[in-house]
Amino acid sequence: MMAAATGGGGERSSTRDRLLAALEDLELLARELIEILAISRNQKLPQPGEESQILGLLIQRDGEFQELMKLAVDQGKIHHEMQLLEKVVEKRDSDIQQLQKQLKEAEHILATAVYQAKEKLKSIEKARKGAISSEEIIKYAHRISASNAVCAPLTWVPGDPRRPYPTDLEMRSGLLGQMNNPSTNGVNGHLPGDALAAGRLPDVLAPQYPWQSSDMSMNMLPPNHSNDFMLEPPGHNKENEDDVEVMSTDSSSSSSDSD
Amino acid sequence: TLLDPASTPWGSPLVPDDTGNRLRFQLELEFVQCLANPNYLNFLAQRGYFKDKAFVNYLKYLLYWKEPEYAKYLKYPQCLHMLELLQYEHFRKELVNAQCAKFIDEQQILHWQHYSRKRMRLQQALAEQQQQNNTSVK
Repeated sequence: MMAAATGGGGERSSTRDRLLAALEDLELLARELIEILAISRNQKLPQPGEESQILGLLIQRDGEFQELMKLAVDQGKIHHEMQLLEKVVEKRDSDIQQLQKQLKEAEHILATAVYQAKEKLKSIEKARKGAISSEEIIKYAHRISASNAVCAPLTWVPGDPRRPYPTDLEMRSGLLGQMNNPSTNGVNGHLPGDALAAGRLPDVLAPQYPWQSSDMSMNMLPPNHSNDFMLEPPGHNKENEDDVEVMSTDSSSSSSDSD
Repeated sequence: TLLDPASTPWGSPLVPDDTGNRLRFQLELEFVQCLANPNYLNFLAQRGYFKDKAFVNYLKYLLYWKEPEYAKYLKYPQCLHMLELLQYEHFRKELVNAQCAKFIDEQQILHWQHYSRKRMRLQQALAEQQQQNNTSVK
């Protein structure tokens, strides 16, 4: 009949259940008391003092009930605070997530920036390695253009003997040509029977063919062991390393000082 | 007849003194530029020079002319492109055909005229613009 609700702890049953159980008990006790009082009006009591016993129990149960009510109110307050705190926690959570997103973005942007900066540095280094004075470039550009080596003369028409490469005449008039035919050089570079000679323009007859370039220092060739051409292509032979000197920008035909 | 390369430097022993180096430099400078002449290349191909391993090794050796400190002596820098192509056996084989050489020759000449044509077009465009400006200005 009595609900077995112990004080304190409440882990076994919730406050609500305990409240309901207490109410039930109160109801039962009240009913019993009323029954006994009703009976005692008409008959003798089988057990004297039972009604006061029941009354006592009733009062006790009521006391417990009141306490449970207080407990419930407190619990309600705590629950309310918990909800508030939970809301706060939620807010903080979303703040953290927002910050996380922004951090990620920032990291991405920075990574891109760093990467691009590195690429830039690489290309700067590359450019520095290949640096040539603008004067040299202009000189060279003038050299290959003014002689119509890389750009056709503006008055060129089919039939003009000039070409973007050394022509027969130029080849024969060079060192290689001299080595082959030292005695048949003809007059002024005109070879007998040379069909091209007929329409030759004046500048080609100039004795100095700049494509042979006599204005340089001579110790700058890579080493050449001609026998090696029978074998694999040569690397630099150790014994000939002395022959190769670093080129200076001033070319001169001075004699060598290495040995 | 075009130059016979049989008497040229890679058949001769290395001369270690200065004049030797100077001479070798000039000869190699001349020879590498001759490679820009497709007719000469055809000549070489037909005489079987491209099949000679020593010659092919020599062509590879000549690649040093691509370095800037050497390239600046080239009057015909186009020869470097031909030299690069000559490293490939397929190209060397093709050069035996006269049509191949002729085609290369034509393309070279057309390319050679590229800048003159471009300049002419620019000048024409400029002249036309000036005409327009003159007629619109009162």
